[in-house]
Amino acid sequence: MVEPSWTATTPLSRIYAPGRHGVKNDAARLSMAELTGFELVQVMARRGMWSPTDQACREAYGQAAPAKPQATRAEGALLIWSGPDQIFVLSPRGSSLERARLAFAGMASLSDQSDGRTLLRISGIKARDMLAKVCSLDLHPAVFPAGAAAATSIDHTSVNLWRGEDSAGDDGAAVFYLLVFSTFAESLWHTLLDSGAEYGIAIDAATPWQG
Amino acid sequence: MRIACPFCGPRENSEFSYLGDAKPKRPGPDAGEDAVYEYVYLRDNVAGEMAELWYHGGGCRAWLQVRRNTVTHEILSVEPAAGAGAASVTP
Repeated sequence: MVEPSWTATTPLSRIYAPGRHGVKNDAARLSMAELTGFELVQVMARRGMWSPTDQACREAYGQAAPAKPQATRAEGALLIWSGPDQIFVLSPRGSSLERARLAFAGMASLSDQSDGRTLLRISGIKARDMLAKVCSLDLHPAVFPAGAAAATSIDHTSVNLWRGEDSAGDDGAAVFYLLVFSTFAESLWHTLLDSGAEYGIAIDAATPWQG
Repeated sequence: MRIACPFCGPRENSEFSYLGDAKPKRPGPDAGEDAVYEYVYLRDNVAGEMAELWYHGGGCRAWLQVRRNTVTHEILSVEPAAGAGAASVTP
């Protein structure tokens, strides 16, 4: 009998092409990357159990569970608001599933979304302009500062969007992260490439999410 | 038309799905055939203020109860529907 052999690939690997995309006659004003190697746990507080869930979060991760659209940096994880009484716990690949299971036992329902979502990073001085064409939210820094998050739709696709720390590079520009259902990732990626083509996009090699 | 989601803030209506009249309540098991028929099929055709259920599927996935004027599309109030947000609303 032949043993099937499976090679794990990332959701975008079929179409992912690191290098330049769009106009190439100038420096790229936009950077995009697929981030891999993360674990993502959806934590949904059970009815009437938000307070203990929040308390458990403080004990296990050293930060309150975000109760409004925000992304909070915590111990070994990023806590991302995803809806009323719901958060995502995003961690580098490791033992985060077991950690979440122990932290929230009995008070919240957990769902492993590590392979269910694709994580994208969008940065550069034109990141906001590119997103403005496809996202109906106001991403002006006064309204959407670092640490702001949103559950919204881009190109009819549900996404979780948040703004991380500004780029440490020489441009110091805003950095946005997008979580999208893996099966919608190719479609969204094409839309984002089209939207950003006029600015020149540097597509970085897919790298593990570092937190 | 925009709907101010109590969890997310104002959003365009393409993020929402419309269910319809928020008034009908599922009849009890002994209510009889007429009550079930009314619950399933009969709807008021309101010209004016109406309580409606909307689903924020393109966002936080919460059910909302929206009071809307069906003539002017003015939104009068938006609140979480019963059960939206496990802790915030009791059904």
